[in-house]
Amino acid sequence: MAWESLTQRRLRSSLTTLGVVVGVATIISLAALGEGFRVEIKQRMQEGFELDVLIIIPGSFATGIGKFTPEDVEAVRNVSGVELATPIITIPDAKVYTYEENATRLKAFTVSAVNFTEMLKLLPHRLNATLEGEIPSGKENDTIVLGYKTCVFNDTEPIVHVGDNVTVQITGIPFNLTFRVAAILEKSGTSGLTNFDYWAFIPLNTIQEEQRTYNLILAKVDDPEKSEEIARSIENNFDNPYSISILVPVAFMREVDRILGFIQLFLTAIATISLLVAGIGIMNIMTVSVMERTREIGILKAIGAKSRTVLALFLSEALLVGVIGGVIGIFAGYGLSYGLAYSLSRFLQPTQQDTVFRQTETQPMELNPVFPFEWILIAFLFAILVCIIFGLYPARKAAKLDPVKALRYE
Amino acid sequence: MKTIVELENVRKAYRMGKVIVPALRGVSFEVREGEFLAVLGPSGSGKSTLLHLIGCLDRPDEGKIIIDGLDVLKLSDEELAELRLRKIGFVFQFFNLLPRLTAIRNVELPLLIAGVSDKEARERAMEMLRLVGLEARVNHRPTELSGGEQQRVAIARALINNPKIVLADEPTGNLDTKSGWEIVQLMKRLNEEEGQTFIVVTHDPHIAETADRILYLRDGQIEGEKKPRGGKA
Repeated sequence: MAWESLTQRRLRSSLTTLGVVVGVATIISLAALGEGFRVEIKQRMQEGFELDVLIIIPGSFATGIGKFTPEDVEAVRNVSGVELATPIITIPDAKVYTYEENATRLKAFTVSAVNFTEMLKLLPHRLNATLEGEIPSGKENDTIVLGYKTCVFNDTEPIVHVGDNVTVQITGIPFNLTFRVAAILEKSGTSGLTNFDYWAFIPLNTIQEEQRTYNLILAKVDDPEKSEEIARSIENNFDNPYSISILVPVAFMREVDRILGFIQLFLTAIATISLLVAGIGIMNIMTVSVMERTREIGILKAIGAKSRTVLALFLSEALLVGVIGGVIGIFAGYGLSYGLAYSLSRFLQPTQQDTVFRQTETQPMELNPVFPFEWILIAFLFAILVCIIFGLYPARKAAKLDPVKALRYE
Repeated sequence: MKTIVELENVRKAYRMGKVIVPALRGVSFEVREGEFLAVLGPSGSGKSTLLHLIGCLDRPDEGKIIIDGLDVLKLSDEELAELRLRKIGFVFQFFNLLPRLTAIRNVELPLLIAGVSDKEARERAMEMLRLVGLEARVNHRPTELSGGEQQRVAIARALINNPKIVLADEPTGNLDTKSGWEIVQLMKRLNEEEGQTFIVVTHDPHIAETADRILYLRDGQIEGEKKPRGGKA
């Protein structure tokens, strides 16, 4: 009955259904793009930070930047949940040159003394990706690991190779140090901490033990989910909590994820308005339809249809519009998502202005819609709900018609 | 024979704007089971109102209506609908078929409302259309049928639930003489073969003459009663 009734008012029914289709498609595509955006950002952040690595900085905004002592490193190491802690010494004003007559300066803007073995355990993905060579074992002295852009200019050939010697000038040391290139890292492509494109690493034992003060401690945690807890325990090991700052990538990620989730929800909420508009369309059409079919309703009642049968009949028409519109809307939503993703992606490309000298080359943003099943289900159910709610008034009106009056209605 | 319809001092008035128009002013009569009753009267005499009251589409302002032992005034709207569905079949002057449904769909409608399965409804509707001589027209829509054919569909629909009472409101009023006569003959035949009680409202004395009994209605009151020669005893 409901189906026959709809198919005989084809244009009107299809326009009503179209309203639902647009509503559902908008919700789904905005949700999918929002989710895609979220996934993309998350992935980039995961590339930029190792989620299981806490970055511990001496000092804070309150105290200014200080230094860690070997005892501090030990204190971090002893916190339960910390699998590994490794200190880093950043050498100020270090300059790296090629080992030749007319030495060329390498673009190693940060020169750090590290424990290679521990660093490799801490950031295996990052440090195993090399252009040439591999990270040396801890025992080897006088070796250097170069970031991609320190020696690869304009994406051409590196100007030094594994096995070549380079010289390092350090302020305060009157002579040049010579290091053998052990590895050249791959291009990182990310922004964030672990972009080592302009870094050079030398062994920690280059610096004499008694002279060591550390600028940074990296701590690998056994369970990233417990990062915050572990960070708190580390803080508690220091007398002055302001003397250290801990960057917890997981917490940061969560916060960003929460914000993106909120934006997604906001976008989707806007989209639901379009579905409400569709609902009003349904109400409008059905009210007209009830008026037109007054006589028909009278007939149905005369032959014994109860009020609730009439109600059910009209509601099932609304429901049918909701189901058909919802199903088409889901497919349209997929299509719309890809269309929008394609056209929006063009706006998201990074601008190639080299205003900042050290600007890293970020990869172009890719926006791929992601379709979370629950959002599709929500959109579909919401469409049906809207249809029923807005169909209820006209359906009740139909159900309440007085049969005698309805039969007389011309 | 058992009394199937009983009216006692039934009054009904309609409000037309500010004016109250009395339609029935104290009507009392009884109809026996299996009877073919004609209610004859000019337009405006309250015939349709009477039929609507017997058909439980409306309630009287005053008086008592008993249908097959049930006091209509004591029933809820839902129960009245149930009563219409199970015990009463309607035939209207303007056929009142659902224009969007084919003949057979129109006929099976009361069965579907009653919750009979699609398959059984289809079979019984088919049988009923055969009974009224429309087996060749089952899949036609009302607009593709002649007036007489539409009225046959309406009769088939009225009879599909095997009701005890069939109420016909000017069933020939919108038909030419020949088709009208055929419809009357069909109703007579069904009355005799199937044993249903027929109450036919008309202003055509020729049609009334075929009934077992004629009630004369004028200005909302029964003026008299007659047993034509053609009717059953």
